[in-house]
Amino acid sequence: MPYLDTYTQPLTAKTAAHLLRRATFGPTQTEITGFTGKTAAQAVQLLIQNANVSPSPPIDLDSTKATAGQTYLEKAFNGDRNFDFGTYIKWWWYGIMADQSNKPALLEKLTLFWQNHFVTTREVVDDYRFVWRYFQLLRTNALGNFRTLVTGISKDPAMLRFLNGNENEKGKPNENYARELQELFTVGAFDFAGNKNYTEDDVKAAARALTGWKYTNYWVNGSTTFDTTFTATKHDTDAKVFSAKYNSTTIPARTTAPAGFANTGEADLSDLITMLLNHPETPKFICRKLYRWYVNPNVTQEIETNVIVPLAQFFAGSSNNYAIQPVIVKLLTSQIFFDTANIGAIIKSPLELVIGSLKFFDQPVPPMATNYAAYKKLFGDFAHWRMRDMQMDVIDQPTVFGYEPYYQTGYSRIWMNTTTIALRSDFTDAFIWRWLVVDANYYGTGVPYKMGIDVLAWATSLQTNFSDVTGTPSITCVDVLEAFTKNMFATDLFQSQKDFLIDTIMMQGIPRTSWINEWNNYRTTPTNTNRKNAVTYRLQNLMKYMLRMAEYQLC
Amino acid sequence: MIDGFGMKALARDSVLVQSLLQTTAANTDRVLVIIYLNGGNDGLNMVLPLDQYSAYNTLRSNIAIPQASALALTGNDTTGLHPAMTGLQSLYNDGKLSIVHSVSYPNPDQSHYRATDIWMTAVDSTQTADTGWAGRYLEDRYPGYPTGYPNTDMEDPLAIQIGYLTSTALLGSQGSMGIAISNPDSFYQLVGAGGATSPGDLPCCDAGELISFIRQQQALSVGYAGEIKKAADAGKNLATYPTSGVNSLADQLKIVSRLIHGGLKTKIYFVSLGGFDTHSGQVDTTDNTKGAHATLLGKLSDGIALFQQDLKLQGIEDKVIGMTFSEFGRRANSNNSKGTDHGVAAPMFVFGSGVKHSTIGTNPNLSDLSGTGTNKEIKMQIDFRRVYNDILNDWFGAGQSKTDTLLFRNFPTVSLFSNMVESVASGDWTDKNTWTVGRMPFPNEFVRICPGHTVTVGQSVTLRNLKLDGKLKFAGNYKVKLTG
Repeated sequence: MPYLDTYTQPLTAKTAAHLLRRATFGPTQTEITGFTGKTAAQAVQLLIQNANVSPSPPIDLDSTKATAGQTYLEKAFNGDRNFDFGTYIKWWWYGIMADQSNKPALLEKLTLFWQNHFVTTREVVDDYRFVWRYFQLLRTNALGNFRTLVTGISKDPAMLRFLNGNENEKGKPNENYARELQELFTVGAFDFAGNKNYTEDDVKAAARALTGWKYTNYWVNGSTTFDTTFTATKHDTDAKVFSAKYNSTTIPARTTAPAGFANTGEADLSDLITMLLNHPETPKFICRKLYRWYVNPNVTQEIETNVIVPLAQFFAGSSNNYAIQPVIVKLLTSQIFFDTANIGAIIKSPLELVIGSLKFFDQPVPPMATNYAAYKKLFGDFAHWRMRDMQMDVIDQPTVFGYEPYYQTGYSRIWMNTTTIALRSDFTDAFIWRWLVVDANYYGTGVPYKMGIDVLAWATSLQTNFSDVTGTPSITCVDVLEAFTKNMFATDLFQSQKDFLIDTIMMQGIPRTSWINEWNNYRTTPTNTNRKNAVTYRLQNLMKYMLRMAEYQLC
Repeated sequence: MIDGFGMKALARDSVLVQSLLQTTAANTDRVLVIIYLNGGNDGLNMVLPLDQYSAYNTLRSNIAIPQASALALTGNDTTGLHPAMTGLQSLYNDGKLSIVHSVSYPNPDQSHYRATDIWMTAVDSTQTADTGWAGRYLEDRYPGYPTGYPNTDMEDPLAIQIGYLTSTALLGSQGSMGIAISNPDSFYQLVGAGGATSPGDLPCCDAGELISFIRQQQALSVGYAGEIKKAADAGKNLATYPTSGVNSLADQLKIVSRLIHGGLKTKIYFVSLGGFDTHSGQVDTTDNTKGAHATLLGKLSDGIALFQQDLKLQGIEDKVIGMTFSEFGRRANSNNSKGTDHGVAAPMFVFGSGVKHSTIGTNPNLSDLSGTGTNKEIKMQIDFRRVYNDILNDWFGAGQSKTDTLLFRNFPTVSLFSNMVESVASGDWTDKNTWTVGRMPFPNEFVRICPGHTVTVGQSVTLRNLKLDGKLKFAGNYKVKLTG
C-alpha cells in the first residue's frame, strides 16, 4: 500500500466527512457538500486558510457583573475573578470550535493536540493571563515550526510554573521540566522497540542547563504586565555532559553569553533543544502521536515502518527542518489517512461528541459579544460541564501526560465505560427532549432557541407539497431514515440495522404502511395535537436511538 | 433418587464441590481494595526512620519532619509515622496495618508513566505487558469475561473503580475487567433500563472492533446497574465520614464499604488519591509538619482508618484487605524548592484484620544509599510483586503455580497473611535476607526453617515457636528460647 502517497481521488461525501471529522470537531452537512468533489489537497488547503487567526478576545460572561461583556485580558490582573476569567478562555474557545459559518478550519483541533502535548492546566497555573499567553503561543505556532514551539514553551511563564522551571536553580536543581521535556515533549521515553531513549543522568544534566528561568508578577493584583526573566546567578555555568544516547553531547561551560544570545541561559537552551531535536527518536515520537491523533491509535510495525519513519524523516529533514504545516498536509492528504480501514477507527472524544453534535445538527453559536448570556448558557453552563463529566476538561488535563485515551493502552476505548456511556446517552438525549433553553427570545424574534433537533420540522422538509395529501405521496419510513442517517455515522449501516431501526425502533413492530397513514393524517390536520404527537413520537424514538448507537460514537 | 441423598451431598458448600471450583471456602468472599497514590509518594517523610534521624535531617533539612513530631508505634521504637497520620498509627497499634519497607523492583524507572505501568502490569522494568496484574487474576477466575456476564455464577461486577476511568491494573486481554462508577445512587438512573438490542452486524477492521466494544460496555452497564442499586440500597455506612468533598479518598472508600456491606460480590475495588508529585512546596513555608504532603497523608490516613472502622462496625472486617501503592518514592535528598524529585523505593501499606506482621523489612539504611552527591536514592528491599504474590496466593487463594503464572514467575512470599516467618535462604539469623519478612524474626513470632536451608545462630534468640524443616547451626554457645 502506498502509505504516504497523496490520495488523489476526488472526495466523496464519505471521505469528505471523514476528513472533516478528524481535522475539525465534526462537520456540518453544508461543509460535507462543500468538500465533495474537491481533492484532498484542495480541501486541506481550505482547512488551513479558513482559520480565524484573530478572533475577538474572551469577555466577561457573568451577567451579574458590571464588567459583563467587556474584555479583560488587557486589563490589570484581578484575583477576585481569576477562576472565572481562566474558565471563560475555555468557553470562548468552544465557540470558535463550534463555529457555524461553514468555513471549516483545522487550527483548533491542532491547537488542542499541542495543548494536550505541552500540557499545562488552568487549575495549576492559576493565573488567567499566564494561561492565555500559553494558549496563544500554542495556537499561533500550531502550524509553525516545532523548534520555535519547544523553545517558546520552555520559557513560557505558564510552563515554568506548571513544571517548576521557575524553581530550578543552580546547586539543587528541580528536575521536573527537564524530565518531561525529554519524556513527553521531544524524544519520548522509549523507541518503538522499547529501548530507553535517554538516561537518568541526562535528566539531571538537562535540568542544569535549564536553571535560572523565572517569571514576574504572578498573581499580583493590579499588575498590568508579566514576563519571563533570566537570573544569571541562578544559572549553572558549568559544562553539561550527556550520555551516548545523545552522542555524548556537551553543552560547554559558559560564564558569558556567546554572540547572538541575550544570556547564557538562552545559549544553553538553544544547544539543549538542538540536541533534543537531533535525537532520531524526536521526529518519530511526534509523528507517531500525530498519527494516533488523526488517523488511528493502533500503530503496528507496518505503520511504524511505512508511515511513521518516512514522515519523521520528512519532518526533521534538512529541507523541512521541523516545519509543522507540511507534515499535517502530508498526513491529512495521504492514502493511509483515507484508507477505508481507518475510517471510524477512533472513538470520539467528548469534545468531538459534544461540539461535533452541536455542529452536525446546526445549533447556532449565540454571538458572544452581544448575547453573552445565551453564549454562556450553551457553552459554559451546559457543554463545558458535560464534557468535563465525560473526562475531557480542556486546558485542565488530569496529569502532564494529557488525557489518558491518547497515551494509555486501550487508547480511545478508555473514553467509554459503563458510566461515561451513560453520560453520553444523557447528553444526546438532550437533543431529542430539547429541555435546554439557550435563549427564551432568540434575536428578539419571540421564538425560543432550544438546543436540539426539531425532528418534525426535519421530516416536514422532506415532504414535497405537504398540504397536497391526495395528490402527492407521503414520505416513507425509508425516506425518513435515509435523511436522518445521511453522513451521520462514519461507517455504513447494514440493511439488517436499517430494517431494525425502522421496524423495531420507529414503528415498534407495526407495519410500515401505518406510517403513511399517520403522516397523512398529520398532513391533513397539522394543528391536531394527537396526530402531531403520533408522528413526532416515532421520529424522536428513531433519532434518540440512532444517537445512542455505538456507531455514533465513532469518529 | 434424583432428589435424594446423592444430590444433597453435592451442595455448593461441600468439600468436593469446593475443590472442583478450585477455591477454598474461606476465600470466596474475600475483597481487595487497591489505593493508588498518584504522582510518586515521598515515603521518607511518611514513614520516619527514628533510628537514623541525623542522617535523615542532613538529606532533607528544608523539609524534614522534626523528630519530636513523629508519631510513635507500639512495639517499634525505630520507626515513626508522619504527624498527620494518627489514624494509621492507631491501626498499626491495633495490629491491622503492615508497613512494607522500601518497596521497588530491579532497575527502577523514574518516568511517571512507565513506572506506573510497571506497577500495574507487574512486569520487570525491561518488559512490557498489555494486561494488569489484577485483571489477569480476574480473567483467570472468570474466563470469557465480558461475554456472558453478568450471569448466575457472578451477577456482580468483577471489579469496580470509583470514578470515570478504569485503571491499567484491571486490564484483561479483552479490555478492562472492571467497571467505573462515580456514584452508585445515580448510576441506575443514569443508565436507565436497556432498550431493544440492535442486530449484531459489524463492519470490518478497527471500527468494527470498537463498535463491538462499545456495545459490550452498554450491555454491562445495563446488566450491572440493578445489582449495584440493590447493594447501594442495602448497604449502610456505620462510621462517620467527613462531608463529601473534604477528603476525596474517604468519599471513595465510603462508597466501597457501603457496596461491600450491601452484598456486592465484587472482588476488587480500585480507588485513588492524586497530588503526590511534590517537586516543590511539599511542606509549609514555616512548619515542616504542615503543607501539601501533610494534607495528602492526612487524607490517606483518615480515609483508611474510617474505612476500617466502618468495616468493623458492619461486621465484615475479616473479608477485606487493602493496599496502597505509588509509582515510585522520591529522592532521599530534597531539592531547593522544598520539594523532592522522582526517586526509587518507598513503603507500601497493607491494612485489614488479616495482616499478620506489623512490619516487613526494615527502615531504609540512610548510610547505604545509591546515587551520588545530592541525588541519593533509597534502595529496594522488597520487590512489589512479592506483595502481589501474597495477595493472589494467600488472600485470594489462587494457588502458588497459578500465582507464578499471573506474575510471570515466582516471587517469594513476605508472609503478609501467614503468622509464620520462614527462611528464604541459608544465612545468618540476623541477616534480613534470610527471612520472608525481610528482617530478623520478632520474639512474638513463629519461625520455620525451610527444607534445605541452614540458618546460623550467632546470638541467643527468643521466639514463640520453631518449626525446623531445615537446619540450625550454632556459632557458639547460644540458645533458642521458645515462649510458646
